[in-house]
Amino acid sequence: MVERKEIEHLGDLVKVELKEPEKYVKQVEQILNYFERLDKVEFNSDKTLKNEIQVKTLREDKHVPYEIEGKPLIKSLRKDQNNFIRAPKMI
Amino acid sequence: MTKIGLEIHCQLTKLESKLFCKCKADYRNLPPNSNTCPTCVGLPGSLPLLNRKAVEKAAMISLALECKIPEKISFFRKNYFYPDLPKNFQITQYNAYGPTSIGSEGKVEIEDKEIRIRRIQLEEDPGRLIYEGSSEKTLITLVDYNRAGTPLVEIVTEPDFETPKQVRIFLNVLADLVENIGVADPYLEGALRVDGNISIVNGNRVEIKNVGSFRDIEKALHFEITRQQSLLDRNIPVQAETRHWDEARKITISARTKEEEQDYRYLPEADIPVVVIDKGIIDELQKQMPEGIIAKRDRYVKKYDIQSQVAQVLSSDKFYADLFEKAHNKTNAKEIANIITTDLMGFADTREKKMELKISTTHISDLADAIINNKITRNSGKLALLEMIKTGKSLSEVISNLDLGHVSDVNSLEQIIDEVFKEEEKAVVEARQNADTVNYLVGKVMRKTKGKADPAITIEIIRKKLSN
Amino acid sequence: MNLGISAIEFLSQVKDETISVEEFVAKTIDRIKKVEDKVHAYITLDDKNALEQAKVIDKKIRTKEKVGSCLGMPISIKDNICTAGLKTTCASKMLENFIAPYDATVVSKLKAEDAIIIGKTNLDEFAMGSTTEFSYFGPTKNPWNTEYVPGGSSGGSGVSVSTHECIISLGSDTGGSVRSPASFCSVVGLKPTYGLVSRYGLVSYANSIEQIGPIARTVEDVAFILNILSGLDVHDNTTIGKGDTDYTKDLDAGVSGKKIGIITQMTTDGIDKEVASATNKAISKLQGLGAECIPISLDAVEHSVAAYYTIASAEASSNLARYDNLRYGFDFGIEGYEFKAYVSKVRGNFGPEVTRRILLGAFVLSAGYYGKYYLKAQKVRAMIKSQLEVAFKKVDVLITPTMPILPYKIGEKIDDPLTLYLSDINTITANLSGIPAISVPFEISSSGFPIGIQLLANTLQEKKLLQAAYALQQTTHLRAMPI
Repeated sequence: MVERKEIEHLGDLVKVELKEPEKYVKQVEQILNYFERLDKVEFNSDKTLKNEIQVKTLREDKHVPYEIEGKPLIKSLRKDQNNFIRAPKMI
Repeated sequence: MTKIGLEIHCQLTKLESKLFCKCKADYRNLPPNSNTCPTCVGLPGSLPLLNRKAVEKAAMISLALECKIPEKISFFRKNYFYPDLPKNFQITQYNAYGPTSIGSEGKVEIEDKEIRIRRIQLEEDPGRLIYEGSSEKTLITLVDYNRAGTPLVEIVTEPDFETPKQVRIFLNVLADLVENIGVADPYLEGALRVDGNISIVNGNRVEIKNVGSFRDIEKALHFEITRQQSLLDRNIPVQAETRHWDEARKITISARTKEEEQDYRYLPEADIPVVVIDKGIIDELQKQMPEGIIAKRDRYVKKYDIQSQVAQVLSSDKFYADLFEKAHNKTNAKEIANIITTDLMGFADTREKKMELKISTTHISDLADAIINNKITRNSGKLALLEMIKTGKSLSEVISNLDLGHVSDVNSLEQIIDEVFKEEEKAVVEARQNADTVNYLVGKVMRKTKGKADPAITIEIIRKKLSN
Repeated sequence: MNLGISAIEFLSQVKDETISVEEFVAKTIDRIKKVEDKVHAYITLDDKNALEQAKVIDKKIRTKEKVGSCLGMPISIKDNICTAGLKTTCASKMLENFIAPYDATVVSKLKAEDAIIIGKTNLDEFAMGSTTEFSYFGPTKNPWNTEYVPGGSSGGSGVSVSTHECIISLGSDTGGSVRSPASFCSVVGLKPTYGLVSRYGLVSYANSIEQIGPIARTVEDVAFILNILSGLDVHDNTTIGKGDTDYTKDLDAGVSGKKIGIITQMTTDGIDKEVASATNKAISKLQGLGAECIPISLDAVEHSVAAYYTIASAEASSNLARYDNLRYGFDFGIEGYEFKAYVSKVRGNFGPEVTRRILLGAFVLSAGYYGKYYLKAQKVRAMIKSQLEVAFKKVDVLITPTMPILPYKIGEKIDDPLTLYLSDINTITANLSGIPAISVPFEISSSGFPIGIQLLANTLQEKKLLQAAYALQQTTHLRAMPI
């Protein structure tokens, strides 16, 4: 049983304000119940799929400044007059 | 029983680029947000590209700390929201589902104590926050992403330290290590950050965060031990909590904000494939490893016949070990080792004092040679050293300025000894029977010559005269 | 002017100067302006630039200068793929004003071949959905019957190709999002092998699964464009390279002597009757061309929808965390807010489907649940892959209907997420395992809805896949789309 409290907690974890949490309670519960079948699957192996890469193929350690038409990236973002990003303080 | 564990974050400042993009790894003194790109700012559609050298250097740190390096390493996302985190997750490593970080289960020996290393992992630094206006009242944070994505190696130890001094020595060893491997300058501001956790007499564990310079951690730990002990003395139990080090007042303060149990919802970072570190890579890296401290110590003992205690002290300090390497030759190695460990290290024990030393390898080797060749006594040598450190003048200049020349010329010594015999008639009579009084007479000769008389020759002449 | 020609035909007509690029592009723009009211496939139209580029290309052709292989062909791009200078909104309020400063690799590659990016197409918000009803800018409509959904999440892409509003479109496919609109709109849609096409510039939703995929009117066009899109990319460490494969070569090799596997779990229970009958017809056609068709059972398919939505939601909840409106987004000042309150408030602007998936994702990753859902889902993926390996030892390609159902009416399932999830059962297998899959338009149902047939092949076997798809499409003579 998924309760409204749980939905609100999840909403808080992912920082999404839920205007009508009740609406999600039923749907999330239904879908999670559907996910329960995963618990009953019998596996022959514990393998999971993984892409691999060799160390030699990794990116070389080189400094290349990023510019768009000669200007740094910050010019394309929301900045203040000193090129800082303004954010509310975390209390 | 005091138990201290450490969590250290070391920036790989000597890399050219960040951990996942080509921006500059050392962000210091750059204009705000001038060292960014779509990846480190987390723009939609951007992808992380792992830095090869970061993996190699982190592997070398693991090797130096005798950690196991897995065949395959992988990355995870640690999800939480904070203004300095552009993606609102940090790409890091995580061992809860298997040992996939760059190092685990290592160890290091400090003062004969084995300190176990729990794990070493690669991760990215977040950006920096500045507060608009006075930090108490303002509601606005200014964010600078220049530092976001800077490569970090996190080293976590088991709570095996027993004293703050061991912690200090360990951190110095670690600082020397990362310098030696050529991966970081640990003395740059913010480059080596240390959090500690400490419990005494198996009580509750207290975490200490926000220690600005890694030299402050010793002070912070001392303060904590005192604080906890005084609580226990009053039968007040120590609370398990997080405390912040207040740099200005040099105390730890309880972190008033209740650190919420964070649920980081770790999941694998799918944009970075599993990195295969085959044995060939490890072998290549081993060849590039600088000589370890223990190997160095053993080499000093074997090759130069340096006393094991002296060798231990010398090999543990990169600055002085480097000085030794440059200054010595086969004949004067042992003497130089003694000079450095007995006298020099005492004079200049902090990084600032070391940097201020006006002394060169020539000074040291000249001094050692002069002592070996009896041109100056060890006592005078100490004075000469001090003068050379202060003024940077050459040994010969200092010897003549301070009149430290060795008196070994038999005639001058005989004259001085005759003088002493005249002044100490009673002692001379006693000395014929009592060996201790001979030393007294030697002492008088030393005082007359301001310590410059060669002790061995002096004793010989005195004995000869006494037996006459 | 026939705007419904294939890319290959376009190239031929431009080369022998039967048509000029400028004229074609101008007429395409007229067409777009004419039909958009009815179908709403586009979010952004870059008509002025497109015409300018067309003129430049025409000039280059006239003066015999070197021109890229696309010769000014108008291509639309799903609005979750970054295009420098043009908005990339992901059909979300959160990116309402976002203009990427860089081109996705696939866009750079197309531009280097002188393709003309004519506009950005509509999608389900952040590519989460199978009907394109979850767009912040309103739904896209199926041109075959505008009261019905066009499939999704790349609905705008599928429709723009279907209605001749462009020649080729790029969509993205995470759980069937290229193949479902291809099937519902009667066009061809390919999901390549995971890693064949760079994801640099594709706004992440489920990054261990998704791929950019082309939508076109013919299989030949798909092969042509795949040559351009595919290959190792230095910007994307998950790309795997294709060597010097030419997907257009030997496209007409046919299926004679080939073995085709009919996936039992996707061709029996719960399928619409007309879809089942179309599938049987397709199988017969292929048999008639000399292929041997045998049933193949993949029992892991039973768990695939649960596994897919577990993993996709988990990855979505992390991939979308960055949208806090601080560095880019929409107009909403920070004054008066504390950090957590501000972030929660702005993120309350995600639509209901995105919100659902973020919540689900948070749940399956939260402390204690990782082993129960997420880890098990990953093991299901491996299980599917290994069952497919066994299958591909017996057959060359697999066949299923792309969608088990015909299109829903717009609004019909908008509050029934689980039913929509279940309709992905046929497409999800290819996403979870990483293998390539293609939807070929096969039939129009008696009720007037397109039915697509899906073919799947093993990892990096696009050549084999396209050959079978080509052979199948050659057997069809479909009536024109009504608009």
